[in-house]
Amino acid sequence: MSAKLFVRRRDGRIEIRLNEAGRDVLREVFVRVVAAERDPEHEWHLSLNAPINPSNDDDDPLSTLARQNEIATNAELSVMTLKEQFLNDAEAWAWLSTLQVALRSTSVANGLLSDEKLAAAPPELINEIQTIQQFLFDLAACF
Amino acid sequence: MSHTAPLRLSSTESDVESEVSVITERPWNVIVWNDPVTPMTVVVVVFRRIFGYSNNKCTHLMLTVHHEGRAIVWSGKRERAESYCVKLQVAGLHSSVEQDA
Repeated sequence: MSAKLFVRRRDGRIEIRLNEAGRDVLREVFVRVVAAERDPEHEWHLSLNAPINPSNDDDDPLSTLARQNEIATNAELSVMTLKEQFLNDAEAWAWLSTLQVALRSTSVANGLLSDEKLAAAPPELINEIQTIQQFLFDLAACF
Repeated sequence: MSHTAPLRLSSTESDVESEVSVITERPWNVIVWNDPVTPMTVVVVVFRRIFGYSNNKCTHLMLTVHHEGRAIVWSGKRERAESYCVKLQVAGLHSSVEQDA
């Protein structure tokens, strides 16, 4: 697979070169981030709510709230723009952020916190991670 | 010859207080931590977008995170440090704040 999945055009918009199957994969990822942000029991919820200042047990509730709102907003915007052919800069940034949140949440939820643990992960999990990474590589190249 | 009174005869209490606060107010550091899955290009893009740093500086910081496990990406007032930390977490990077030792 050598063709770019996302391309920045001269007018500044980002073209999405994904077929339906590719968009379905993204939909699953984006919807999962929205669900994780809303459901405290979700396996990704903890990784989405890491403390800002680990030495302070009470953390700053306003900062935490700001983060929760922004993560949810990014993921919701990503879901809403899934059928678009072109993204503007803010939408593409929301996609990139949501994909990266999903990637790290997958890693944390499965205890993949080192290169050794990642190398020993089951093939299906590695495949899931590499798929998200491929989206991220191509989208990051547009910024 | 006119006589001009000295502007300041001695330190006032508030001078002493402000000097003390300058000494004790250590900066807050925003830390980004390494993880085994985040693509390097994503880290560079996020640093550039959030801090507005040059490409070279972003790449240097990303490599510091990669090789040393963490990097201080910004230092200053606590409120701004926490705000940057939130932005980094919203972008999916593992970050935290700590006061300079």
